[in-house]
Amino acid sequence: MMDSTPILDIRDFSLVFDTFDGAYHAIDKVDLSLAAGEAVALVGETGCGKSVLTRAAFGLVPSPPARITSGSVRLDGRELLGLSDRELRGVRGKDVAMIFQDPMTYLNPVFRIGTQLTDAIRAQSGGKVKRAEARDIALGMLEKVHLPNPERQFKAYPHELSGGMRQRILIAMALAAKPKLLIADEPTTALDVTIQAQILDLMAELVEDMGLTMIMISHDLGVVAQVCSRVAVMYAGKIVEDAPIGQIFDAPAHPYTKGLLDALPHPFKRVERLASIPGTLPDLLNPPKGCRFAQRCASAHAACDAPVGLRRVAPQHTVACTLFEDTPMKDPVHEH
Amino acid sequence: MLSIRGLDVHFPMPNGQVVRAVDGVSLSLKPGETVGLVGESGSGKTTVGKTVLRLVEATSGEIRIGDVDVRKASLKGLKTLRRKAQIIFQDPHSSLNPRMTIHRAVAEGLILNTSLRGAALHDKVSTILESMGLPAQFHHRYPHELSGGQKQRVCIARALVLDPDLLVLDEPTSALDVSVQAQILGVLKDLRITRPALTQLFISHNLAVIRFLCDRVAVMYLGKIVEEGPVEQVFEDPRHPYTRALLSAVPVPSAVKRPDRIRLTGDIPSPTDIPKGCAFHTRCPIAKKGTCDTIAPVPVALGPDRQARCHFADHTKGVGQE
Ligand SMILES: Nc1ncnc2c1ncn2[C@@H]1O[C@H](COP(=O)(O)OP(=O)(O)OP(=O)(O)O)[C@@H](O)[C@H]1O
Ligand SMILES: Nc1ncnc2c1ncn2[C@@H]1O[C@H](COP(=O)(O)OP(=O)(O)O)[C@@H](O)[C@H]1O
Ligand code: SF4
Ligand code: SF4
Ligand SMILES: [Mg+2]
Ligand SMILES: [Mg+2]
Repeated sequence: MMDSTPILDIRDFSLVFDTFDGAYHAIDKVDLSLAAGEAVALVGETGCGKSVLTRAAFGLVPSPPARITSGSVRLDGRELLGLSDRELRGVRGKDVAMIFQDPMTYLNPVFRIGTQLTDAIRAQSGGKVKRAEARDIALGMLEKVHLPNPERQFKAYPHELSGGMRQRILIAMALAAKPKLLIADEPTTALDVTIQAQILDLMAELVEDMGLTMIMISHDLGVVAQVCSRVAVMYAGKIVEDAPIGQIFDAPAHPYTKGLLDALPHPFKRVERLASIPGTLPDLLNPPKGCRFAQRCASAHAACDAPVGLRRVAPQHTVACTLFEDTPMKDPVHEH
Repeated sequence: MLSIRGLDVHFPMPNGQVVRAVDGVSLSLKPGETVGLVGESGSGKTTVGKTVLRLVEATSGEIRIGDVDVRKASLKGLKTLRRKAQIIFQDPHSSLNPRMTIHRAVAEGLILNTSLRGAALHDKVSTILESMGLPAQFHHRYPHELSGGQKQRVCIARALVLDPDLLVLDEPTSALDVSVQAQILGVLKDLRITRPALTQLFISHNLAVIRFLCDRVAVMYLGKIVEEGPVEQVFEDPRHPYTRALLSAVPVPSAVKRPDRIRLTGDIPSPTDIPKGCAFHTRCPIAKKGTCDTIAPVPVALGPDRQARCHFADHTKGVGQE
């Protein structure tokens, strides 16, 4: 893992939205890197920039209003920033696949599932795959995502299926082209607990058996726990902590990460009080010069008013907080 | 305080089918008690909540709030009921009038239901908003100028200002982030202390939230309550296979893989076509052929306030849990 080129390597990525009130600094100097076969969770409150980051990196955030102000995005070594819209469409159709919270938005209500799947597979191949072959690939994918009765569902319309079945179909469609990277943006938020558990099991299985490389976005650390091996915590457009999942739960460093964990009610423990993080996200039209979490942080002190970079607290564990000292260690994946 | 007996809510469909959304539900809430109602989407939770407030008409059965017979209440009786029993929905945004400041939104109910006016009205509204963690600078804002969590606080304030005896909360935190959810759960938990007489029916599909807030829990599946009991007992020793499956599906904030997971296959069947026998038999990991698919189980008493609707409820402990 350590010596291979990362599948995705986002460096120093910054983006602003040009609004009537000025530049809104939505993403600030983000580094995020995924090795092949890694499943990384991107976690943080609503509006902290998870979707903007993962969409903008692949040209899905229209400019204007968005404007990328710094950085680089490499997919399997190839720089994506600066590619034409056509080239980016090619990347999205083939190398990067995405699934979202509401699968219905991405399925056409008037076409049968089978038609949509085979069309998508043929389009992904640039028309090289014949209809019959596409059909076999599609049925094979539906089996992989454990959709019951794939032959029958092939003839169904989207509204005839449940939310969980639709999400399985979207996953099948996303993975049919064997993408290098899957972005799953809150894929289970709209589902029931039991169905959520089924989909999370499926994602974990795909990561383990197919070696899928994935970014899974969520605001709930409990949801990503069974699927991802690493967590990047985002706050107000910055990655504030990046660590293996075990470390996040056992030794969270950043006060914001701790806040997110303490806010979760636990189904198997009697808890009298939940700690909630006071306040709201800072105004990113005028972002704080120092730590963006300072207004809400109980440990804030004078040093937090100056820009705070990532410090390494363990070999695979970095945190952007003045409470920690940098311990220099060799780790090529994160090296600048 | 709230007593539901043999409640059926059936919706006839244009195609002649009948949606049996609620099917023989009985549930009692003592004054001051908080009871959770949990189950998958479509299990009938919201329908129970709305029927209690007569926002939906029952097909049969009895509902009493205090000494009011809800289904037989006169227009005047209904007016009192609408004040004494309040409901809070999942989406605070669509529950608030976009053209009304939040101070006005909270005052509205008092103007309609009481003779309070002028400074006394103004002060009462300000006080309740402040007690919900909304200081004066927010009072003259419009809903779109508030966050989701703040809007939900307004909805809670608007309900509480009428001094209700019963609060029905339908997924009040599902649209919120975990950290904002924690704030709202804190507000609701404080009510247990500041308003000890307030009875709450808390509808949610999030078991962790129910554990945090409720004294008792009722688990619904396809319109029926399949297990009921004190929260600690149900969570630590679930007796219905559906409750066990729900509990093992809860995402737990821990990197340790859970060995004891029971996975339900497939989706909840359609309430127009409820399976014969035990409604859960099509998904039940321990269903017994010849019994479960033909004979409908009746609730088995497992202790005071504790029951489960399963043929094997009194000796399923540990089965399927490995
Ligand atoms: N007015 C109606 N007409 C027909 N069917 C209805 C009506 N209201 C509810 N239903 C059906 O009754 C069943 C129970 O619905 P209900 O909204 O009570 O479920 P719920 O448990 O609250 O689900 P969720 O978790 O999705 O909120 C569902 O199948 C629903 O589609
Ligand atoms: N087109 C836009 N113009 C201005 N601001 C935007 C636009 N799109 C998103 N934003 C802002 O960028 C921030 C990050 O949004 P988003 O990535 O969707 O958050 P998340 O996915 O973490 O919930 C939010 O404050 C959002 O309001
Ligand atoms: S840098 Fe300072 S303000 Fe920011 S999280 Fe650390 S202690 Fe808190
Ligand atoms: S009665 Fe049978 S099918 Fe129903 S829950 Fe019990 S074991 Fe399962
Ligand atoms: Mg998002
Ligand atoms: Mg509902």
